[in-house]
Amino acid sequence: MSTPARRRLMRDFKRLQEDPPTGVSGAPTDNNIMIWNAVIFGPHDTPFEDGTFKLTIEFTEEYPNKPPTVRFVSKVFHPNVYADGGICLDILQNRWSPTYDVSAILTSIQSLLSDPNPNSPANSTAAQLYKENRREYEKRVKACVEQSFID
Amino acid sequence: METFKANDANRDELIMQQQREIEKEISDSTPLVSDQLPLTCLKAEYNGDDIFTAKIQDLAKRYKYMRRTRPDGNCFFRAFAYSYLEYLTCNSHAYQEFLRLAEGSKDKLIELGFPSFTLEDFHETFMEVVKRVCPKSSAGASEIVQTELHKVFNEQGYSDYVVVYLRLITSGQLQEDANFYQNFIEGSFTIEEFRHQEVEPMYKESDHIHIIALCTALSAGVRVEYLDRGEGGSVKTHDFPEGTDPKVFLIYRPGHYDILYPI
Repeated sequence: MSTPARRRLMRDFKRLQEDPPTGVSGAPTDNNIMIWNAVIFGPHDTPFEDGTFKLTIEFTEEYPNKPPTVRFVSKVFHPNVYADGGICLDILQNRWSPTYDVSAILTSIQSLLSDPNPNSPANSTAAQLYKENRREYEKRVKACVEQSFID
Repeated sequence: METFKANDANRDELIMQQQREIEKEISDSTPLVSDQLPLTCLKAEYNGDDIFTAKIQDLAKRYKYMRRTRPDGNCFFRAFAYSYLEYLTCNSHAYQEFLRLAEGSKDKLIELGFPSFTLEDFHETFMEVVKRVCPKSSAGASEIVQTELHKVFNEQGYSDYVVVYLRLITSGQLQEDANFYQNFIEGSFTIEEFRHQEVEPMYKESDHIHIIALCTALSAGVRVEYLDRGEGGSVKTHDFPEGTDPKVFLIYRPGHYDILYPI
């Protein structure tokens, strides 16, 4: 059945294929357009470089009026990523705009990797190390980059 | 990665889950836009309250009917859209003018920097709704158009897309005339932050600034009747923008807008 959410997700997918942003990719799962798998490649010149981080995106029929639930499947050591992979990012919560599409969501998460916001931590250890011990922070991030090859 | 602390549980999702349950309760019990109800139905809500009862009596001298809208934070935009389109369905000239303005609004928003890909989706649906309620001159036709309007506004998909598009038009107007609107924003918000946090997201309630910006963008006048606990036995009336001939009539009770029908 075609609903506004499903119609819009088809458009999002088409756009992501025709005009893919650098360093991200995503597609609906085989039999359900409401659940997508995505990959974000760690941005260059950051400790996340070379990492391939997998995510799932779950939409409801209220998309695009409400944001989807986005979660890292790969382990990510980052001030704004929860232990369960959930992401603390304003545009996925109270600053969501229906004008964002999947492409915009993935590129925003990609920039979050480069520019963490240690003031609203989802992982307080990562936030603390990011502020106070950058070398240790980068070491921990690199460990999860290596883990991401195996996952 | 064993060092996540116990209090780092994903609170955002728990809060959102609870919010979804409350929203479901409201949506199961209230239509997006109700049938026409006699204004006197308000009295039952304020039984025994002298201030409100007196004010409702005052209001009943000028208005006979009302339509309730679902209290979901979108009530101003939904009430405005319904009421304005309803006015346009019986005013062919005004309808044609609005149609032209609505057609051109997409390019204007893209010029202002809105992402064209997603904007197109909302604009298409918005135009589809506008065209579905085109005034017809044949006998009995206005009733058919009215039924169509009511049907389309109670279909969540269409109804919400109309709200989104009006929010984007409002946001565009705030951006275009940012120097003016900046004066009305409380706290340390910039216009940019205000648009992204209080205007574009669905379910965010509207304030005067939203109303002024939307009315200005669409050249439409709105009269709001304020029913509250304030002094005096009569409701306060406010026209947006001041001095215009209002086509949309709304009643405001703290936190909520419904549609009014003048006698």
